[in-house]
Amino acid sequence: MAHQAHAYHMVDPSPWPLTGAIAALLMTSGLAVWFHFHSTTLMILGTILLLLTMFQWWRDVVREGTFQGHHTPPVQKGLRYGMILFITSEVFFFLGFFWAFYHSSLAPTPELGGCWPPTGITTLDPFEVPLLNTAVLLASGVTVTWAHHSIMEGERKQAIQSLALTIALGFYFTFLQAMEYYEAPFTIADGVYGSTFFVATGFHGLHVIIGSMFLAVCLLRQIHFHFTSEHHFGFEAAAWYWHFVDVVWLFLYISIYWWGS
Amino acid sequence: MAGRLLVLLRACTTTTTTTTTLRLRSNAVVRPLVRAMATAKGIPTDEEQATGLERRALQALKHGKDPYSMLKPKEYAGTKEEPHIVPCIGTKRLVGCLCEEDNTAIVWFWLHEGDAQRCPSCGSHYKLVHHELPH
Repeated sequence: MAHQAHAYHMVDPSPWPLTGAIAALLMTSGLAVWFHFHSTTLMILGTILLLLTMFQWWRDVVREGTFQGHHTPPVQKGLRYGMILFITSEVFFFLGFFWAFYHSSLAPTPELGGCWPPTGITTLDPFEVPLLNTAVLLASGVTVTWAHHSIMEGERKQAIQSLALTIALGFYFTFLQAMEYYEAPFTIADGVYGSTFFVATGFHGLHVIIGSMFLAVCLLRQIHFHFTSEHHFGFEAAAWYWHFVDVVWLFLYISIYWWGS
Repeated sequence: MAGRLLVLLRACTTTTTTTTTLRLRSNAVVRPLVRAMATAKGIPTDEEQATGLERRALQALKHGKDPYSMLKPKEYAGTKEEPHIVPCIGTKRLVGCLCEEDNTAIVWFWLHEGDAQRCPSCGSHYKLVHHELPH
């Protein structure tokens, strides 16, 4: 049997990129169908296909790395670069929304009353639930670091406990934010204040949910002994993403909740 | 790995409370396995669990070998006494000699097993050394 003489992973042919592309097509055209013909069928079909694609593609990555040993040190390095580049692209995504916020708030137009917050907007008190949310996310940053050190030191029980606590804190943040959204005295339709507030915090909340899901998958994998004390990049990637989500919240809190109130 | 998963599943579905060890947790069957880990605290090491190409590459590095060319090649003087050592899994390998730093033309030639050969342009010595891939 001829083995390769290099340490890289030449991936086997896979149907998931195609199903992912089809899912993207169905979701976007389904969105248009929803807008014009009031039917959500196509969009829901696309979303189901997307979820199936993500599950099967990432399941295959776990099989290739953990069970088949294809993730040699150079391959892992490539995965690290990939995650860093992805998070960088997300940073730019949020930068756009911060740009929109500062553009609107640094020179408020006459329609807003020439002031920020605009006339008629009752802002949320930054020292109430938003401050609690800040504490919750900062604490989750501590617990995820605790989980990482536990894994590196071979402490299974502590790794599982601290990772579970991180996820619980993530869910608590999402719950608190959902309550805030429900109780807020303004909506997304309330001028540029509402638009910038809900689009920026809304996308952030979506990223918290995504990050929590990623950490939950890591928890399941840790329980099933996938990670070793030296090789646990899936967890590191999830932790990087979680810290990124935390940092975005800090910028949101300082800019929109505090300075913008 | 799959075997362990099956053990866990079987333990979850057929757990009874007749023994004291099972009364503690539904996945108590895991505990004896956990003690078997190198760290004795439940998380395996690469030494225990790495498999496939990753295992072969890591084991080779542990013995000071680099059959998968993961590290930067060693530097040699290129003289008759200290020729450039070119590892090869067959009997010949292509060599590209950058005779001087910043040269834009690379001198390519086949290096065969046997006596050291010299670059046709700068005269540096190259010696083919056979090695086997770990299996």
